[in-house]
Amino acid sequence: MTMAPGLRKFALTVHVICSVGLLGAIAGFLALAIAGLTSQNDQMVRAAYLAMELIARFVILALAFASLLTGLIQSVGTPWGLFRHYWVLVKLLLTAFATIVLLVKMELIGYAARLSAETTLFRADLRAAGIQLVIHASGGLLVLLVPAILSVYKPAGMTRYGWRKRSAIAPGLHAVVGLQAPKSPAS
Amino acid sequence: MPDPHTYPGAPRWMKVSGIAVVVALLLVVLIHVGGGHNILAAAGLGGHAALESGR
Repeated sequence: MTMAPGLRKFALTVHVICSVGLLGAIAGFLALAIAGLTSQNDQMVRAAYLAMELIARFVILALAFASLLTGLIQSVGTPWGLFRHYWVLVKLLLTAFATIVLLVKMELIGYAARLSAETTLFRADLRAAGIQLVIHASGGLLVLLVPAILSVYKPAGMTRYGWRKRSAIAPGLHAVVGLQAPKSPAS
Repeated sequence: MPDPHTYPGAPRWMKVSGIAVVVALLLVVLIHVGGGHNILAAAGLGGHAALESGR
């Protein structure tokens, strides 16, 4: 099930936009989390946590799912496959892991936003939540940098499944279907 | 000369990354289990108690 070249390029473009947008949105979220944690200005703190919830719910979460979905389409619809190459598999696992952590942390993000909207600002409670949010946003940013790097370098290495599939195809056919010829692990 | 028909195994970058991930996970588990809260509290950054009491 291989996509036509035009459709494949369109799917790749959407996937790149979603993935890079996700990185940018998390960077913005991290900037707000640091501002919320370090600022002495109550208005700044309130604004930061309220904006963080909006960004997380309507931008980061949406882009994370879009990135996962377009990545799945991209891998299934091209000769790369989903389980054939280690770099594709690692990208999938890291993005899925980051999305699950984000879903788990949505409660904390909402809690911080609710606290910041209270008439009295509970600095100690907000600080506790803010520290966790800075740590998780930094971790998420670092984790999602890896798929971006893998997408560019595409390091060699096939899974056992990919190797079996490749062996099933006649050697001369690799170039025709666009499969990468196998490299030895030392190369 | 290696047989081109036999699976060469996982590439080196996967093995190195796998070890790094296991080490990182162990560190996270150790910090959580072995007193990460004490370290944060000592630095004046502790807050799980305050967070939980706020719920």
